[in-house]
Amino acid sequence: MERIVQILLITAAVLMIIQGFLHRRKHEKDHSHSSFGHKHDGSVFSIDFYAYASRLRTWSPKYKAVFSMVCLLCCIICDNIYVSCAVILLMAYITVVMGGLPFRRYLSLMTIPLVFLFFGCVAIAIGFSGSPSGDFNLHLGFFYVYTSKESLWETLELITKALGAVSSMYMLTLSTPASEIIAVLRGIHMPKLLVELMNMIYRYIFLLMDTQCRMKNAAVSRLGYCDFKTSCVSFGQIASNLLVVSLKKGNAYYHALEARCYDGELRFLEEEKTVSAMQTAGALLSVSLLLCIWRLTV
Amino acid sequence: MAVNRLIEKMEQEVILQVRDLQYAYSDEKMALKGVDLDIRQGERIAVMGSNGAGKSTFFLNINGVLQSEHGEIFYRGQKMTKKTMNDLRKNVGIVFQDADSQIIASTVQSEVSFGPMNLKLSRNDVRDRVDEALSYMNLTDFRHRPPHYLSGGEKKRVSIADIIAMHPEIIIFDEPTAALDPVNADMLEEVLEKMAQEGKTIMISTHDVDFAYRWAERVVVFCDGKIIADDAPLAVFSNETVIRQANLKRPMMLDIFETMREKGLVKDDRSYPKNVEEFKYCI
Ligand SMILES: Nc1ncnc2c1ncn2[C@@H]1O[C@H](COP(=O)(O)OP(=O)(O)O)[C@@H](O)[C@H]1O
Ligand SMILES: [Mg+2]
Repeated sequence: MERIVQILLITAAVLMIIQGFLHRRKHEKDHSHSSFGHKHDGSVFSIDFYAYASRLRTWSPKYKAVFSMVCLLCCIICDNIYVSCAVILLMAYITVVMGGLPFRRYLSLMTIPLVFLFFGCVAIAIGFSGSPSGDFNLHLGFFYVYTSKESLWETLELITKALGAVSSMYMLTLSTPASEIIAVLRGIHMPKLLVELMNMIYRYIFLLMDTQCRMKNAAVSRLGYCDFKTSCVSFGQIASNLLVVSLKKGNAYYHALEARCYDGELRFLEEEKTVSAMQTAGALLSVSLLLCIWRLTV
Repeated sequence: MAVNRLIEKMEQEVILQVRDLQYAYSDEKMALKGVDLDIRQGERIAVMGSNGAGKSTFFLNINGVLQSEHGEIFYRGQKMTKKTMNDLRKNVGIVFQDADSQIIASTVQSEVSFGPMNLKLSRNDVRDRVDEALSYMNLTDFRHRPPHYLSGGEKKRVSIADIIAMHPEIIIFDEPTAALDPVNADMLEEVLEKMAQEGKTIMISTHDVDFAYRWAERVVVFCDGKIIADDAPLAVFSNETVIRQANLKRPMMLDIFETMREKGLVKDDRSYPKNVEEFKYCI
């Protein structure tokens, strides 16, 4: 039984990579997503950009949030390497093939958690001792670095579990703009203050980045970053300037809010996106597939 | 004929009356030193004056954001107090100079819905108003975009749609052309023309004398917290003292026309042309 599941997973992986590749080729040809934006740099901002460009944006954010949470819980509760792999593949499929995110971008976004996982897991997988022990060991002068098949397997399980969880969250964030995620949080009765703060911070991060960028360019153009010492001084000045500018602007923002009858609560029109029967069926199918894999391999 | 129209306008209902309005941000310096102004239904008013003359402060006062101890504001004959300030905010809309400091939401649609939502309208009404304002400003395709991926001109359009969706009686534009390229400035002028055709009451602060001369029917000049002139454009721009005091320039059209008249190239009895089309008729 285990063999079958293994083969299935590997085939799925290969198919997905091929399809993703083909899709990307097609995508590059029609170049449909160059319609807006030019900010591909800076990972946080690129995540924001991809969320707006994703084809899954029309899906209900509640549906996506619930689905990704369920998959994440599957990963954690089942604690099974095959389930985790299936979740990783499923999420990659949804994000890359259905959402239209370039595969290369997905991989490069995935490397961020991968690096952390790698260093975290090295510590779990290997041990040090004075005498040779374990299944594999390496003699380094006066001590041995060793590891065993079991601990390697355990590490692999841990990595896949964590990656499965991360890719579930990626599926949500790479297909849902922050404003919609915040709306979902409002829906589950998160404290109002927090929700409004998130809304404001999200909007003002971009303004602040913009101002910072302009100040930095102005400093660079006057040789403010020519060597390390000058760079430090310029950086400090920009930071303090940014604070002053934000304080001043705060007033203007508040006036603009008040001018439109702001009474202490931010209210926006939120669209209601409906969940289609197909989507419900898809989610149920995926979850039952995960549960099947679990039953078959436990 | 222009005089007739002016008289007609004089008979229109006064929406807003400002009497001896004074305002100081801090104790030392007054930003407004006693301003009197009547705004009538359907007027197109250009507000001029150098930086720091008090234009923006005045706008914030007649919108009710800033409240002064000294001076009175009447909206349709009713004196505004702290309690009725929301009437002012509902009926006087300001398009702020800097679109970025006005836009707060993270999509165009929710941004435009902010004002109507605050008016406590029903969901459907809010939706209708947002749809209408977006199509008015040609923004329907941008509905779900976040403001940080919009260009300057598009942001300006969003900030105008914000105000249109609230259906105010008076729309104020605070230096709208300041950060716009020529194409967007033309777009803005078209929108203003359209609004004026619909009989909306519009007030614009600007440094562009040519624009004020061809667009406005009334020019109000601020200088150091006071109104030093309030008249038809021709009268204001022909007044040397006002021009000098407020550091204004004379509109190009006016200069050209007067030079040509001096040289006898046009007939004296023709009325002053406002734009190039009218100018062509004169010669
Ligand atoms: N937030 C503020 N705090 C203190 N003083 C201000 C503030 N805003 C404007 N002022 C002062 O009030 C005066 C009028 O400014 P403002 O109304 O912005 O002029 P304008 O819009 O005509 O350029 C100026 O002297 C300015 O320095
Ligand atoms: Mg101003």
